[in-house]
Amino acid sequence: MPTTVAPDPTRQLIRAEPRTEADLAEHPSIQAVSAQFTDAVRDVGRDASGYPVLRIEPERNHEVLRFLRDDPEQAFDFLADITGVDLGGGVPIQVWYQLWSMRHGRQLRVVCELPLTQLTLTTVTDLWHTADWLERETFDMFGVTFEGHPDLRRILMPENYEEGFPLRKDFPLRGRFSRSEQVRRCLSRSLEDVYATEELQMAGYGDGTVPLREPTPAERPEDALENRLEGEPMLINMGPQHPATHGVLRLVLQLDGERVMRCIPHIGYLHTGFEKTCEFREWNQVVPYTDRMDYLAPMLYNVAYAGAVETLLGVEITERCRAVRVILCELNRILGHLLWLGTTAIDLGAFTVFLYSFKEREKIYNLHEAYTGGRITTSVTRVGGMMADLPVGWLDACREFVENCPSTLDECERLLSRNAIWMARTQDIGIIGPEEAVSYGLTGPNLRASGVPYDVRKARPYLGYEQYDFDVPVGVHGDVYDRYMVRLEEMRQSIRIVEQALAHLPDGPMNIDDYRVVLPPKSEAMGSIDTMISHFKLVMEGIRVPAGETWYSIEASKGELGIGIVSDGGTKPVRCRFRGPSFVNIAALPYLVEGELVADVIAVNASLDVVLGEIDR
Amino acid sequence: MTKLDVLQPDSSVDTGIPRSWVTTRLDHVINWARRNSLWPMPFGTACCAIEMMAAAASKYDIGRFGMERMSFTPRQADLMIVAGRVTYKLAPVMRRIWDQMPQPKWCVSMGACASSGGMFDNYTIVQGIDTIVPVDVYVPGCPPRPEGLMYGLLMIQEKIKGESLAHPVARAEDPDAVGRPNLPPEAIELVAQPFGNSTKQNRVSGLSSNSAVARERDRIERLMEHRE
Repeated sequence: MPTTVAPDPTRQLIRAEPRTEADLAEHPSIQAVSAQFTDAVRDVGRDASGYPVLRIEPERNHEVLRFLRDDPEQAFDFLADITGVDLGGGVPIQVWYQLWSMRHGRQLRVVCELPLTQLTLTTVTDLWHTADWLERETFDMFGVTFEGHPDLRRILMPENYEEGFPLRKDFPLRGRFSRSEQVRRCLSRSLEDVYATEELQMAGYGDGTVPLREPTPAERPEDALENRLEGEPMLINMGPQHPATHGVLRLVLQLDGERVMRCIPHIGYLHTGFEKTCEFREWNQVVPYTDRMDYLAPMLYNVAYAGAVETLLGVEITERCRAVRVILCELNRILGHLLWLGTTAIDLGAFTVFLYSFKEREKIYNLHEAYTGGRITTSVTRVGGMMADLPVGWLDACREFVENCPSTLDECERLLSRNAIWMARTQDIGIIGPEEAVSYGLTGPNLRASGVPYDVRKARPYLGYEQYDFDVPVGVHGDVYDRYMVRLEEMRQSIRIVEQALAHLPDGPMNIDDYRVVLPPKSEAMGSIDTMISHFKLVMEGIRVPAGETWYSIEASKGELGIGIVSDGGTKPVRCRFRGPSFVNIAALPYLVEGELVADVIAVNASLDVVLGEIDR
Repeated sequence: MTKLDVLQPDSSVDTGIPRSWVTTRLDHVINWARRNSLWPMPFGTACCAIEMMAAAASKYDIGRFGMERMSFTPRQADLMIVAGRVTYKLAPVMRRIWDQMPQPKWCVSMGACASSGGMFDNYTIVQGIDTIVPVDVYVPGCPPRPEGLMYGLLMIQEKIKGESLAHPVARAEDPDAVGRPNLPPEAIELVAQPFGNSTKQNRVSGLSSNSAVARERDRIERLMEHRE
């Protein structure tokens, strides 16, 4: 496949804003790196959202990143994301590392620019566990090779995908092959397309050189029954069609009796190509796609995407819009957690909780429907505001929900929290400690259950979250039970936030007063030529977003949702990156289940609260 | 074709089995039993699966139609509900599940993505699952409300009413079709053109009419052609 394209002189490489002395003084990490690695730093600056950016020589990436993680003055212990950006026209592909320091509350983006002839970086899997899957995704989508990566193979596309690297600009939206050829190929897959080489070797195909992991003495004591039984390890395939994997997740498990020795997750069965498709849609047309990524809490995605574009545009939304977005976000957090509660309970055998939680969900769906017309696919935000103002009577319905919801939560808690079966199935199962949780990049309730009080709403408040009085629940043991308790408490805190927002909901306009961004009202559009032209331009062309890049993150129901956007000043995004929290969270599954019993795989997988639409995107 | 015509066993197909009062009554009893105890195999992938769960939960309660026994193994199911987008990576899995289901079996394509690729006309989404497996009822919507799914399931029930054991090919398994696309390459190209999947679905699927009850005969005709 062609990897080099003739450079297009009209396309300029998008640069962060030039460095200033003030910026350098402000950000100690950039200062330290500049002092330490004088010849590795190419450029420093800030992007449109004020995010500090450090551009380094690609050959030195491991060195610089190790310094940033290990130096106590920097302590970037949390790697939020690794992703690529291809601007097309033969310019170098950028690889972004999004870093966050829990200790210093500081953020930084490290960018490497790789020419198309030399798409190689050194792996950082030895620094952060979470880099494993993120690097594989970057390899899968852009063809960037990470030297030293233990298992660099495709992750979202099939193992032997032959059409190329989908997120490259030279890759056509509909793929390289014809549709009939794509259907023919997908139905004639061989074993090598479905299993990793390692798994085939474990199952006895090929050379069989992969040693099987022996159980440790703790896992199998001297007097264990298994020692007296003849047997051999077994490879089972769980999913992609399985009632308890919460979607089309596939796990290959190597079992020793009932005990899980190895767990290899396979994802990508729902890879929908969101990021590629968004590059072919106007800025506002992307909003409906965001619904379908996390369909358990769609409005959180709507709000995050609109917030990201507004940051790049540099517009400030109205007070009323801000408060309404907070209400919707928190309602959707409850919506997502309720589904988690119901399905997890059903996985562990408690059916009643499922019915109770869906009863409450239907009430939130009714609120969705009254506002947007859709139950799940809401598409509620527009850049610069919302699709409409709240309908009459909506606030009263919301108040009624907020009053009645806690009683259902109490009921569910009465059924589960002190239930002997529930406690036996969840307590001390799937434990992860705080350091490992941070290294695996866990966010949201999964991280907080391990005792790390990291919540984007507190750490980097957005939408005015600093004005609301709420607590961040934190667990102690980091097991399945703690994740359950944290989520239950988070729903109560969300109700508190909604109550406060309802009590102080400002009046005034919902959308901003800038007809270059939002549609003018119909009455005005027909009244004067200026507004009519604006209306026409917005409908026919769409918004124009100034050239630049930004990173905007919110606390979604599953964890930190980061949205990276690159614009070249046109009416469509050049790159839309969605850092879905589920993608990173599920990567910790092997760590959590290896050594546990096979029945606990269900409990642990459910406790991570993943949604496949977001994992596979 | 009127509704009444379809409810009668199809007299145009010569099966060699004489139409008698006994065989038609037997059909009646068997179809009554089949349509009121459908065991769905929920092949849920995305947003539609959440609406399918809502259809099974407290407010909508699919159990009222004899379908609350969700069968998570294809070998004990007779109705595959494909709810959500199907990727090329997932398509062989879906085809395998369909092949594993014993006859008689039906398939519901729930939602825009399963029926036509929906809003995802890109490199990874199958442009309509009828390119992979035969579909009996398409439920429109993105996602369809639970009422929409239930209406689709009632259409399946209606369709079962018109079936007869005397049809020679309707419920026969074709070993050659296992693991193969449901449509020929030209037909796949036709549905996969931009907008083709929404405008040409009926033609390619062999559905000359949009009427729910008329579909059964269409499918038999197509199967007959396939046999020839």
